[in-house]
Amino acid sequence: MAMDVVDYEIFGNEMQYVEVELDPGEAAIGEAGAMMLMEDGIQMDTIFGDGSAQQGGLFGKLLGAGKRLLTGESLFTTIFHNEGRNKSRVAFAAPYPGKIVPVDLTTVGGTLICQKDSFLCAARGVSLGIAFNRKLGTGLFGGEGFIMQKLEGDGMAFVHAGGTLAVRDLAPGEVLRVDTGCVVAFQPSVDFDIQYVGKLKSALFSGEGLFFATLRGPGRVWLQSLPLSRLANRIVMAAPAAGGQSRGEGSLLGGLLDGDNE
Amino acid sequence: MQARLFGPGLPAAGQACEWQTDSGRIQWAGGETRLPSTGGALRSAGFDLAGLELSWADDAGRWALQVLAAADATTLRATPPAGWEEAFAQLAGTTRRHRKGRALGWSALALFLAAPLLLLAGFFAFSDGIAGWIAQRVPQAQEEALGEASFRAMQASLKLRDEGEAARAVREIGSRLTQGSAYRYRFHVVEDKAINAFAMPGGIVVVHSGLINATRTPEELAGVLAHEVQHIELRHSLKGLIKQAGLSAVWALATGDVGGALAGEAAQRMMSLSFSRDAEREADNAGFEALLRAGIDPAGMPAFFDTLAKQAGSAPELLSTHPASEARRDALAGRLSSVTNRRFEPLPYRPWPPAP
Ligand SMILES: [Zn+2]
Repeated sequence: MAMDVVDYEIFGNEMQYVEVELDPGEAAIGEAGAMMLMEDGIQMDTIFGDGSAQQGGLFGKLLGAGKRLLTGESLFTTIFHNEGRNKSRVAFAAPYPGKIVPVDLTTVGGTLICQKDSFLCAARGVSLGIAFNRKLGTGLFGGEGFIMQKLEGDGMAFVHAGGTLAVRDLAPGEVLRVDTGCVVAFQPSVDFDIQYVGKLKSALFSGEGLFFATLRGPGRVWLQSLPLSRLANRIVMAAPAAGGQSRGEGSLLGGLLDGDNE
Repeated sequence: MQARLFGPGLPAAGQACEWQTDSGRIQWAGGETRLPSTGGALRSAGFDLAGLELSWADDAGRWALQVLAAADATTLRATPPAGWEEAFAQLAGTTRRHRKGRALGWSALALFLAAPLLLLAGFFAFSDGIAGWIAQRVPQAQEEALGEASFRAMQASLKLRDEGEAARAVREIGSRLTQGSAYRYRFHVVEDKAINAFAMPGGIVVVHSGLINATRTPEELAGVLAHEVQHIELRHSLKGLIKQAGLSAVWALATGDVGGALAGEAAQRMMSLSFSRDAEREADNAGFEALLRAGIDPAGMPAFFDTLAKQAGSAPELLSTHPASEARRDALAGRLSSVTNRRFEPLPYRPWPPAP
């Protein structure tokens, strides 16, 4: 399927939203919960899968659904299409303070790997897939980073970074160690591994900052200063009456077992 | 081949390029370079590690050429560029090892989670074969402990008659039939009118007085003993017990805990354990050979079937636990007719049956 070329505009400073302009017949996909406004002519449909051409056949759809279930994503994607005769806009808002990162997939080689809760919206035709890290250490130690979301295509995609965004370009062989929760997205050319640094006991009980993601160039990485899990932790800790549960950013199987998507 | 090049002067996110794998020429809009044939490094690349990265350094800095499309990487692995053959071979080796390790890790986890289910399912699906397989691997000491525990559990309900002429005859014939066996046999006579005899794992044979009284010659008794002994030698009792008591028996045998509940259960089953036709035929044949080796007339074996057939009233217990048939009798008679030297010294116990 050909990508829809979308024009966009990002508004705000710390609490941003992105407005996407759709020509008649064009469409964008997004998380239903992220939609902020739709101009006249835009229609919203919930579809099974992600609306890209890749999920051919019933089996493909089931497979896609299974993967999405596994990662705790919603089974359905919302597609916003312009049925009117004029250009129309739809806006998606960031769920918490941070920056919206526009990524033209053509400039990164057609694929972007991102943290599973960072996707905001994309041009129709961008496929939302799941990528499994094949390194056993990643699977055992870090829930986060083991299963990531894979955006494929050659259109625009928008991801959200919590707090302040840091973009780093790594030269071939250059290594950067980051907290697993702080990774927003990276090019697939970047070697990604989870390293366990600390005592297992403390990992089980606090889960804080004991797993590092080792990112090795070449390629571009997008980092966030305030992961949602860290923010949530502080809020829960400050409100014990709420009875919330502490979520470790890199605790054992933490990312596999939690499900913060509605 | 479509590839992506990273290096000095190129966009940080990489430059899409066309790589001529045979000549090593790498071209893109606005430039070109060449893949060196020496001094490069190779690694798996991409989030799912399906791709390849070839990297090298020159005066300008480090370069990395990536092929992430799985199909292209496969092509490349089949025909490595000139000078890179050894690096590709090495990578293939480590990848195989890693894949093996990973597969091992995942299978171990899966096995751990599924083991109880698999064991249970396997046990029901192949109970015969598995029971036999396990029975062959139970150490003799465990087998003896199991038999001993079962015997003790049922002893209270047995009226042992281990003194007297009949018991002496049973012991003596028994020891002749078990010369050279790995088991230490014990033969017991029990006062019970029912015509029956049974064998317990590890070497305990119990004969009812009713059976002794039903035999017309000591050779007929020898025939029965020879048959029972072979159920032990061939581990039929153990196998049957494992099959019937199932996992609890396997567990007890594996852990060596053969006391308590299992012994009671085993004792109960032992008396009603019925063997398959195959097991009966096996015990008949091996028993027949044992009689010949011991110099006891094997004619007593088929003869006892005739004796049983002449018994008035309902079928003896022995037949319900050791399925008998015309076929068994005929097979034994046929075997007997092929024995050339039929001069056997008669067993000395006369008159038969001995007085209780
Ligand atoms: Zn038998």
